[in-house]
Amino acid sequence: MRRTLFVLIAALVVSVMLIGCAAQPTAAPAPTVAPQAARAIKVGIVDTYSGPPAAYGNDALNGFKLALAEINKEGVLGAKIEFVTRDDKFAPDTGLSMAKELVLQEKVDILAGTVNSAASLAISAYALENKVPFIVWTAKSDKVTGEKGHRYAFMTSENAVMAGFAGAQALAKKPYTKFWIAGEDYEYGHSIADATWNSLKKIKPEVQLMGQTWWKTGEPDLVPYLTQVSSAKPDMVIFATGGSGMTNVLKVAKSTGFSDKIPMWIHTAIDYGVLKPLGANGPEGVFGTMDYFFYYPDTPANKAFVKAYQDAYNNAYPSFASFHAYTTAKLIAAAYKKAGALDKEKFIDAMEGLQIDTPVGQVEMRACDHQLVLPIFFGVTKKEAQNEFLTATDIIAVAGKDVMPACADIQKLRGK
Amino acid sequence: MEFLQQITFDAFLSQLLVGLSRAMILFIVSAGLSFILGVLRVPNVAHGSLYMIGAFAAYSITNAFGSNPAGFWVALVVAPLIVALVGLVFERVLLSHLYQREHLMLILFTFATMLILNDLVKMVWGAEYRSVNAPAVLAGSVDVFGVSVPRYNAFLLVIGPLVALGMWLFTAKTKIGKIARAAAVDREMVGVLGINVSWIFAIAFMIGCVLAGLGGALVAPTLSLTLGMDHTIIIEAFLIVTIGGLGNIWGALIGALLFGVTQSLGLLVLPQFAVVFPYAAVVIVLLLRPTGLLKSVW
Repeated sequence: MRRTLFVLIAALVVSVMLIGCAAQPTAAPAPTVAPQAARAIKVGIVDTYSGPPAAYGNDALNGFKLALAEINKEGVLGAKIEFVTRDDKFAPDTGLSMAKELVLQEKVDILAGTVNSAASLAISAYALENKVPFIVWTAKSDKVTGEKGHRYAFMTSENAVMAGFAGAQALAKKPYTKFWIAGEDYEYGHSIADATWNSLKKIKPEVQLMGQTWWKTGEPDLVPYLTQVSSAKPDMVIFATGGSGMTNVLKVAKSTGFSDKIPMWIHTAIDYGVLKPLGANGPEGVFGTMDYFFYYPDTPANKAFVKAYQDAYNNAYPSFASFHAYTTAKLIAAAYKKAGALDKEKFIDAMEGLQIDTPVGQVEMRACDHQLVLPIFFGVTKKEAQNEFLTATDIIAVAGKDVMPACADIQKLRGK
Repeated sequence: MEFLQQITFDAFLSQLLVGLSRAMILFIVSAGLSFILGVLRVPNVAHGSLYMIGAFAAYSITNAFGSNPAGFWVALVVAPLIVALVGLVFERVLLSHLYQREHLMLILFTFATMLILNDLVKMVWGAEYRSVNAPAVLAGSVDVFGVSVPRYNAFLLVIGPLVALGMWLFTAKTKIGKIARAAAVDREMVGVLGINVSWIFAIAFMIGCVLAGLGGALVAPTLSLTLGMDHTIIIEAFLIVTIGGLGNIWGALIGALLFGVTQSLGLLVLPQFAVVFPYAAVVIVLLLRPTGLLKSVW
């Protein structure tokens, strides 16, 4: 009996690990749109709506829906843009089978979405085989438009190389030489850490890496990790975390006094979605980079977007995921208008070099690698008296073109 | 062995203390799992979900109190009770009819319950991250033998042994505890003596739930609360219960200490592979003592 129980427990542990953060398939029904003379444009969204990253999936969907409401008032090519969405449960294999289902059963014209970098790469490979355009809007793996890039893959989120380069530029100006890298042991963690460190090393050759610490995603307690890093006494720590792991790092950095002792930089640490759960108790003085704030830039375009979003969704502020998906929808509409026909190849040609106005200003879909060129903001966390949560201050905007790898380098990466 | 020279005594001590404090939460959760496993013979996979409910309940309670620090202390008491209530309903309505089934059935049943509870949490609290702040008394650090330890971790180091003591007093000194231990060994005999075993089981299950909820409430200030936090803890708790000896609460304590300390000390030696250490320890223990370190009640 004891033996069977061990076998059962082992089987159970494996199955719990396998399902990861799965909960249940949440397939939101497609909105019903009155049929038009021309066929509607159908976008298939594969994104994460369950488990810890569900917040990004939901925000992106809201941003996308908001843009569609605006676009469909006029229509595109005499038709509307519709969407169908599937939950990939943050699992690459589920994401891939959902994408297949959307293409084969739902006959979508374009695929979009994904929080998970590995899912993005899996769907991207499928998109290439089947010649379906695929737009990544939340995941940040630079491989999507770099090494593994191709004609059918696009990316509207800032990728890890861009973020790392923007971070490295700002970090190089600080008087620190001894660095430590700490982060979550997964695709995004390593790609952001590598990107930042490689750029920093190039800009400021005298920097040295004292050591690295990696923990598994969803690691419940980070105190032991941070105490260890702190006892090594580096000048500065580059953290490579995302999502709820990020909130965990900031929380522990504050509670252990780490953030008061050692300067730290984390991409997206200054994101509203990260700082909001911490309320007024977030750590001040943490450096971060981000590509969208609802309060910055303080332009009419951004204000109009924020207001429309708040009116539509109970006063919730748009997150970077909402912004990316909103921009993606606008790009899709603009590209079809430019292409003049409901054709996948013409759509791709139209996307290349396409420029549109967004809440953060004009952005361009770079023709050579299909990476959206958008500005990245460097800032530091601060508690302002009027806010319930920390915000970013001393924001420096780095232009997108200054943080992107050269087209020639991309060709070299893809060529090998 | 260059890396060993970097390890100072201070670093070692602070890692050790922090590792021990982490082990306290693991112990509290695993003790609940082990207790249910011992008395009811149910491998309760949904235990992690009960822990998650405890954490989210603690969030709602502290939030309701606003900036009043009493909120956290109330949450520490009320959140486990809420979880116990959820557990009681679950045990009476569903689980109590299934005790005679084989283990595979029970595992599948509680596994399904885990998925349902996970969605329930999503419906009640939503998918966003939540954060609970420890009261000001427990913020900052304290000096322990010249090493600064986060005050909250020091607090955990006090709570853990208190819970262990409470469990010992309950199982060794109270009548219900003694009956529960007897039922673990021979439930038919306890029934023959005219004791309502069904209700003993309900109480034992609730005690397990209280421990899960307490673990959840205690862990809340140290991390951000997300869906899926149940998966991590249930895997660790099962491993701890297995290496400690099934159903043995002291085994859970030893297992948790082993798990927490190997992790934090492993970090000191090879930070980039720290994740591996506790699992390697589990493998070694099971190779040497396949039935766990202490006597299993199974």
